Amino acid sequence: MINRRRFLTTSTLAAASLAAPGLVTRALAQGEALKIGVPVPISGAFAANGKFATIGAVMAAEEVAAAHGVQVSTLDLDTEGKPATAVRKVQDALAQDGVKLFAGGILSSESLAMGKEVERGGGAFMTTAGADEITGVDCNKATFRWSVPTHGAINETVRPIIDALPDAKKWYTITPQYVFGDGLLNAAKAVFEEKGIEHVGNSYHSLTDKEFSGYLTNAIAAQPDVLLLLNFGAQSSDTLRQAVSFGLKQRMTIVVAWASGLEQFEALGPDICEGVYFGAQYWHGADSALNRELVAKVQEKHGFNPNYSFAGSYICAKLLLEAAVQAGSPDGAGVAAALNGLKYQGLTGEEEIRAADHQVIKDYYLLKGKAKADMADKDDYAEIISAGKSFLSPEDAGCTMPA
Amino acid sequence: MNPLDKPYAQLALALLTVLVLPLFLKSGILATEILIFAMVVAACNLLLGYTGLLSFGQGIFFGIGTYVAGICLTRWQVPVPLVLAGAAVLGAATATLVGWLSIRRQGVYFVMLTLAFSQLFYFVAYTFSGVTGGDNGLLGVPRPSVGGTALNAPWSYYTFVAICFVAVFAVLVMVTQSTFGRTLLAIRENEGRAAAIGFPTRLFKIEAFAISGAVTAFGGALHAMLIGVAPLSNIEYHTSELILIMTIIGGSSSLFGSVLGAGFYLLLADALSTVWPRWLLLLGLVLVTVALFLQRGLWGLVERGYDLVFRRERAPETPAEEH
Repeated sequence: MINRRRFLTTSTLAAASLAAPGLVTRALAQGEALKIGVPVPISGAFAANGKFATIGAVMAAEEVAAAHGVQVSTLDLDTEGKPATAVRKVQDALAQDGVKLFAGGILSSESLAMGKEVERGGGAFMTTAGADEITGVDCNKATFRWSVPTHGAINETVRPIIDALPDAKKWYTITPQYVFGDGLLNAAKAVFEEKGIEHVGNSYHSLTDKEFSGYLTNAIAAQPDVLLLLNFGAQSSDTLRQAVSFGLKQRMTIVVAWASGLEQFEALGPDICEGVYFGAQYWHGADSALNRELVAKVQEKHGFNPNYSFAGSYICAKLLLEAAVQAGSPDGAGVAAALNGLKYQGLTGEEEIRAADHQVIKDYYLLKGKAKADMADKDDYAEIISAGKSFLSPEDAGCTMPA
Repeated sequence: MNPLDKPYAQLALALLTVLVLPLFLKSGILATEILIFAMVVAACNLLLGYTGLLSFGQGIFFGIGTYVAGICLTRWQVPVPLVLAGAAVLGAATATLVGWLSIRRQGVYFVMLTLAFSQLFYFVAYTFSGVTGGDNGLLGVPRPSVGGTALNAPWSYYTFVAICFVAVFAVLVMVTQSTFGRTLLAIRENEGRAAAIGFPTRLFKIEAFAISGAVTAFGGALHAMLIGVAPLSNIEYHTSELILIMTIIGGSSSLFGSVLGAGFYLLLADALSTVWPRWLLLLGLVLVTVALFLQRGLWGLVERGYDLVFRRERAPETPAEEH
């Protein structure tokens, strides 16, 4: 059978390993390499995200190898954006390749399914997917999530805008009709109610819609002060493009609550992004020590700025590998024990992994698109307006961590 | 008739496949998925190759089987034999309904009706997320147990699926060789004449739909147990498309061609997807090649190879009624 896997193996006897010789040598000194699977869509509609994610994981593997003097190999697993394929690839990696660590899962459906499978296989999985259930009702011992769920995304975008625009009292929402979209919408409604905002209407659309002019026409008819887009990826880009072509930017403030950051801005271009507010999990211009270091390294090695796909995969892989080194084994229980309650300086500043639900407590950013003339370089699409941490308690999120 | 097309040869090839896969594949999961899709594609072949019905509704039945397994095993712990039987019955019932409405039209209108049903069932599953899990699917579907031991190891579950596959394949071979199967071929070749002779052609088509739906749903239930999740994507239109592509690549003139089509597609995807992100381009080229030069699919190549090796004078391209 043709071997579909692309292995990258790095090993460095770095002086840094001297700093923690006991930890490294306890279980990993017998020549055993740490392996980390990167289950992301490498082909299909989300292939661009997967490409950056795999490079990000490789960079994390190289750094951990260099820092601790251990062999680290990454194993790319193409999920094709399908839960069934994702699970099969993870099952194979667990059974055949002995992989216990997994960093990836861009789509919620595939991440939920993979998390269950990794738990069953005794491994550890960290993802950037958005579904609240990952660290909510479907939380489990093996699954960790770096990205901020819907509650935080809304609270860190909608609240600051309400505070900044006190006269903007009427908001209209456009929402994808499924669990994730409803999560964003419900969080937005709660903030509206608390702040005395009039929710003048909502348009639901399906996950397969590409044409949004009808929903935008409804929004115009409702005469809102703010249009809040609660869809994501290509759908939010399409909605925003059509909204701009309808001239909505001149009539109201537009907010994209769940943007994917640099990759989305590159696709949209500065003319569309200018003046629009975006909520984002990561921004390469964020002022933190690890982020500055990462940006410099990626620029030096690859010649581009890290985007969300890259950064999310990088930090997930790095956290898992560091935890495996600390635990002396890639087995899920040890890795989870090392990760639970961990406080560290992350890409968004101080981050903490909450033990009760395996949710990383980190900043979510509110960005505002810059005019083309104000961009300092080709990637300087937006400025950070605010950043902050908003999370439901594990109980309110619905997580009952299995014993 | 090529000797390979004889029913016992077809069954022997299916048995050989079951025995050979573990020798050549490292992954028991992949081998199991090939067998599951092989039976599902063979069921599609019953419609396309033997009845002349190009249905985009196969994903409906596959998805229904998936959800039957997902719901019964995660919520009620129903015994697996009952789950599989229930999936087959519900698949047959749904296929009967879809078939009964769709075959009222022929040609492109029939295809459009099955496509419309495919979208309809997808949105039903998407909307009733309390039952189906919506976009997130139903998680934690367990594998079956035999004698109190769960078939969690990939090759253990492969053995279970292999037994199901051989049994289902044998049933499909019997169906195609029966008077019923011969009548389907007659309907495919000339429906008007078959009706004039006195065959209730609509009833035959609906029965073909029901058998196809039962087998496809059965495969869907096995698939949910394989991957431990009942995903929304299993009831998407793309699943119907995938099953049809496998059927056409394998060749619609032989049931074993379906096994080849499923194996070819899944192995190609597995080998190429991490090497080349645009591997689906290659799939497009394969489809173009099959449509232009290999209308009997991979099975046609096998037949030609057999003829060459055994120095037989190759028979002219024949329709499926000779099989």
